[in-house]
Amino acid sequence: MSRKVVLILLLVAAAGLGVTRFITASDHKDSMLLAGDPAADIADLYTFRSPTNPANVVLVMTVSGFIPPSEASTTFFDPNVLYQWKIDNDGDAVEDLVIQAFVTGTGGHQVMHFRGPAKASEIGSTTRVIEGPETATVAVSNTPTPIVATRNGMTVFAGVRDDPFFFDLVQFKKIIAGEASAFRNPGVDTFAGTNVLAIVVELPSSLLGGTKLSVWGSTSRPQL
Amino acid sequence: MKRTACRVASLLASLTAIAAAGCQNSSAPITSPHIEASVLMHQQMLQEDRFGLPAIATVFIPTDLRDAYNLGSPSGDVATFKSLIVAKLMAFGQDAASANALASALSPDVQPIDLSQPSNFLNGRKPSDDVITAELHLIFGSNAALNDDHVDANDVPFLTTFPYLAGPHVQ
Repeated sequence: MSRKVVLILLLVAAAGLGVTRFITASDHKDSMLLAGDPAADIADLYTFRSPTNPANVVLVMTVSGFIPPSEASTTFFDPNVLYQWKIDNDGDAVEDLVIQAFVTGTGGHQVMHFRGPAKASEIGSTTRVIEGPETATVAVSNTPTPIVATRNGMTVFAGVRDDPFFFDLVQFKKIIAGEASAFRNPGVDTFAGTNVLAIVVELPSSLLGGTKLSVWGSTSRPQL
Repeated sequence: MKRTACRVASLLASLTAIAAAGCQNSSAPITSPHIEASVLMHQQMLQEDRFGLPAIATVFIPTDLRDAYNLGSPSGDVATFKSLIVAKLMAFGQDAASANALASALSPDVQPIDLSQPSNFLNGRKPSDDVITAELHLIFGSNAALNDDHVDANDVPFLTTFPYLAGPHVQ
């Protein structure tokens, strides 16, 4: 389930109405297009100053939520998906720079390729792989010890990790179903013990063209 | 070394039509195998999903508009969706002024960060930030039964160094 669905549930709870039917209908992917397409379904996005180097910024995108331990070593990225960070550095909510990531290879032999940060060749909901050399590549690793690569000042990782999201979603569902009136204390993290596919990039903030940024993530597929 | 030499020979062959003698596969493409293998090159792609804030904004988008929202761009959010957010917040009982202020913070749906300041949700988002409780507070205010899910941290510790996320749970 994507975070969007989780928060749709939040909305429903906030409404405080008889909403069970709506929840049933929404309790999967967050749209018809993304249903059955976990590799393109963004679970979360994180943007933060590097704890190890204040001059760096860290970008994290997770997709394909709720990977059980039994599938941790066999879940991979989709070579037909372009994973992208879009960065606005002048406050108009239009991307000035993009960082792109895509995999080649299948099974346990995937490589994640990175391009940018660089100006996008197209703005908005259509996109292309930007021209020019790759800034970094790294082998996709689903192992406890991550494979990490650094090139052009950019450190990169791609592979299965623990899902960093935490929330007592089970109790929340009971609340909105009218089976409970309060959260548990302590709560129980529904996402504990589950994995996601993660792409992590750390790079000098100076490469992003400003101090005040707006960042969003996107996934795209070739048009049929 | 052999492979590199053959690539160079192959490159020369393609440029000068001279056979790359001694290479097992002199007609192999010259580009890196990683690059040549991508199916995405030179194709126009269409956005399937997007993500800015941890989804508060998306919460306010009706089901029948969700695909349009996922296909859209932040620069269109204020015009297309802000009024829906305001209306929803007012339906929850917020007055027009506070609904409008909150809707302005939620649209466009981007993750804002000022890198000159420490990162804490809503100035960026760290893995350890308790985003859900922040959002529950936003929605439920001082209602102590509902404004905190009492899951305050991840189930396993984050790493202090790159890639920061904990290793996978495996069998």
